[in-house]
Amino acid sequence: MTTAELNTSTSFEQWAGQAASRAAAAGETPAFAERRRAAAEVMRSLVLPTRADELWRRTDFRTLEAALPALDPFVTPTLSDNLNLLPAALLERLGENALCPPIVVQVDGGTAFERSTDSLEQQGVIVCSLDRAVREHADKLEAHYGTMLGDDVDWYTAAGSALRSGGAFVYVPDGVEAAEPIRIAQWISRPGVLAAPRTVIVLGRGAKAVVVDEQSSVTAEGISLHVGAVEAFLGDESKLAYATLQDWGRNVYHYSNHRARVGHNAELQWVQTMLGSRMAKANSYFDLAGAGAQAFVHGFMFGDQRQHFHLHTLQRHLVDHTTSDLLIKCCLKDRARSIYQGLIQVSEGAQRTDAYQANRNLLLSDTARADSIPGLEILANDVRCTHGATIGHVDDEQLYYLMARGLPRREAQRLVVEGFFAPVLDRIPLDDVREQLRHEIEHKLG
Amino acid sequence: MSTAETSTLGSKDEYTEKYGFHDADQYVFKARKGLDRTIVEQISQMKGEPQWMLDYRLKALDIFYKKPMPMWGGDVAAINFDDIYYYVKPTTDEVKSWDDVPADMKRTFDKLGIPEAEQKFLSGVGAQYDSEVVYHKIKESLEKQGVIFLSADHGLRDHEELFKEYFGTIIPSTDNKFAALNSAVWSGGSFIYVPKGVHVDVPLQAYFRINTKDMGQFERTLIIVDEGAYVHYVEGCTAPTYSSDSLHSAVVEIIVKRGGRCRYTTIQNWSSNVYNLVTKRAVAYADATMEWVDGNLGSKLTMKYPAVILKEPGAHGEILSIAFAGKDQHQDAGGKVTHAAPNTTSKIVSKSISKDGGRAGYRGLIKVQKGAVHSRSTVQCDALILDPESRSDTYPYMEIEEDQVSIGHEATVSKIGDEQIFYLQSRGIGKDEAAAMIVSGFIEPIVKELPMEYAVEMNRLIQLQMEGSVG
Repeated sequence: MTTAELNTSTSFEQWAGQAASRAAAAGETPAFAERRRAAAEVMRSLVLPTRADELWRRTDFRTLEAALPALDPFVTPTLSDNLNLLPAALLERLGENALCPPIVVQVDGGTAFERSTDSLEQQGVIVCSLDRAVREHADKLEAHYGTMLGDDVDWYTAAGSALRSGGAFVYVPDGVEAAEPIRIAQWISRPGVLAAPRTVIVLGRGAKAVVVDEQSSVTAEGISLHVGAVEAFLGDESKLAYATLQDWGRNVYHYSNHRARVGHNAELQWVQTMLGSRMAKANSYFDLAGAGAQAFVHGFMFGDQRQHFHLHTLQRHLVDHTTSDLLIKCCLKDRARSIYQGLIQVSEGAQRTDAYQANRNLLLSDTARADSIPGLEILANDVRCTHGATIGHVDDEQLYYLMARGLPRREAQRLVVEGFFAPVLDRIPLDDVREQLRHEIEHKLG
Repeated sequence: MSTAETSTLGSKDEYTEKYGFHDADQYVFKARKGLDRTIVEQISQMKGEPQWMLDYRLKALDIFYKKPMPMWGGDVAAINFDDIYYYVKPTTDEVKSWDDVPADMKRTFDKLGIPEAEQKFLSGVGAQYDSEVVYHKIKESLEKQGVIFLSADHGLRDHEELFKEYFGTIIPSTDNKFAALNSAVWSGGSFIYVPKGVHVDVPLQAYFRINTKDMGQFERTLIIVDEGAYVHYVEGCTAPTYSSDSLHSAVVEIIVKRGGRCRYTTIQNWSSNVYNLVTKRAVAYADATMEWVDGNLGSKLTMKYPAVILKEPGAHGEILSIAFAGKDQHQDAGGKVTHAAPNTTSKIVSKSISKDGGRAGYRGLIKVQKGAVHSRSTVQCDALILDPESRSDTYPYMEIEEDQVSIGHEATVSKIGDEQIFYLQSRGIGKDEAAAMIVSGFIEPIVKELPMEYAVEMNRLIQLQMEGSVG
């Protein structure tokens, strides 16, 4: 065992104990205390991921690992009912519209602000911090929490579960269409933070909701780590539009696991973007679990400087007559690197599956690097499964066309890149969030 | 040993009848089962090899011990390295006249149609029986032009300098566990040298046959195509259907120099008790072309990914792969191309078919190294799954470190369309025949690249496999 590992293990041992006692003091129920204890147990049984693990072979977190013991998993904000007490930069980021809708705001390792609205409450819709849900809605939460995302995925996942800090809970009862889009905002206020929130979204039969999850921070000196976890349950005939938009400052390492289960005749519209962070790694798994289930997944990554993005998606067709359609776009500048690793799995007996997976990569510099690893594992025969991947540079003919119309090269390139991202941007459910992203992309293009 | 041990695997009766027989064991030397330094020394001594080769073998043996088993792809855990004959010398020496081949073996190869094929359409033939090449012949006209076509053992004996210069340079023994194993115990295989500008217009062929039970065949092939030269090498493989497993672990190294072209065609039809774990790699220099045509129909498990390294500008690589997995078969086929220089191009076409619970797949890598600007590559993988019990996998890897490139990958998995069957049936064609026609059409882009006789054979093999497939 290296010194770094040793330090890590002792720090984490202390942290796990501290997390448990803090949670008890905050009124966490015994059932959830038990979950923390079990997760800490799993964490002890695992070592930090190595290159021998196929999902970690291309992402090297060693710089983070060296800094891990010095991070603080217990930086908590004061919970306030005054939105204006939130950090100014965060408020600016959220925009004016943040003042109205239902929102849960997480700052560092805790919830800083949470608000539902009267109309939602009348509908029986729950929008609250996960900590409140543990105390007040345990009946609804317990049946779902942790059922899709186990602690044994890897060391980080187990640690995130043992040290869970904050997160949000969204619950929409049967037959209800949530009256307003729901926002979740996550912010890291300073370096040295370890944040590990978990979000659980539950839609009852025939329920409908729009949820936007924004993660951002101002770049600071010194490493922070965000270990995220999201579980989304779509009941039969429900419909969820969910967008997770990652724009952390350049000092943040990000690792998250997303799981969604789509029931009979339910529909998932999923958007995932990666713009920020120093290194980001995300695993997004979609279970098509009921006949007629549909999942539409759109994502993009835009990296510059030495950013490193690693996205792994899994489209699991567990039963017959299900559909998934996935498009991941990636554009890289400077020395940025991306890895897209995608797999379509069709289970035995999952006949009439229609699955599509496309990965398009645009390289803007000769020092950028994109790896694309799309895959198919098909155990049924009456299926239509297709995937495609391309890697290339900005088409000279397109540039020529635009430049021939008087646009300078730079401007022409900007237009091409914007056009490249447009199909994904169009899928973002909230207008102001979409505009914000468009702005970020332009800013990044320079 | 008695002939009573011949197959109990009744699923492919035709295979058993045509290829599944085996001769009574008659060998001049058979090393004991298992692998250690003594066996390796014995093999080297039997062959009267130079010291450097023995050293190379022993070093490779150490590497083999140290390397872990691959944890991906197929299940190789059942291979018991101690229960294999690593060297079985069937006869005193290889001969150049068909009449001198021992009667038993002659009967084997006659049944497989080797001498007949040689007379009809080949420039040269090699036939390997267990560990050694027993027959080797090349047309005189080619020999006069300086073309060398020998068993690898004779290549080492007669052309040591040339052999040593290239041997192990493309696939070092450290490459993977099975390459290390081959490097330690290799025997047989072909050594080919085509001098500058020489165009060998009809194919050279090698035929590989495993006869002994629990046998490991470890042939080693080295092909050097000099500047502007051309050669097409074809290999075929069969084995008796024994109830216990055999191991075939070959290493093939190819060097194609400036402007040269090499095509390497494999029709692998091992019986379904053979583990086929083969490392094949070629280096193509400026404006050279390397083409792998790889047909995998037999074996229990095949893990084989022919590779091309495009080392200098203008080099071109092509991999055409067919994998057909029937009952109890796993074909983990594919290909690898490394673009290491500017203006290099590559194309991979893979067609896989799985049936009766078989598992067929494509596993591939396209790598574009820094500086390999204006590289272009397309990969197309199509899979047909013929019944609900079968499985198809596609694992294409793309690692791109350069922006001025164009890389594309497309893959589809589907079943035979009901409309297609209906269309053919409405024209009076039976259901089985219709399915076989559709499969033939599916693999046609690759079959058409085979020499005529092989294309016919391939189609026949597919039809055999397809019998009774649509129920």
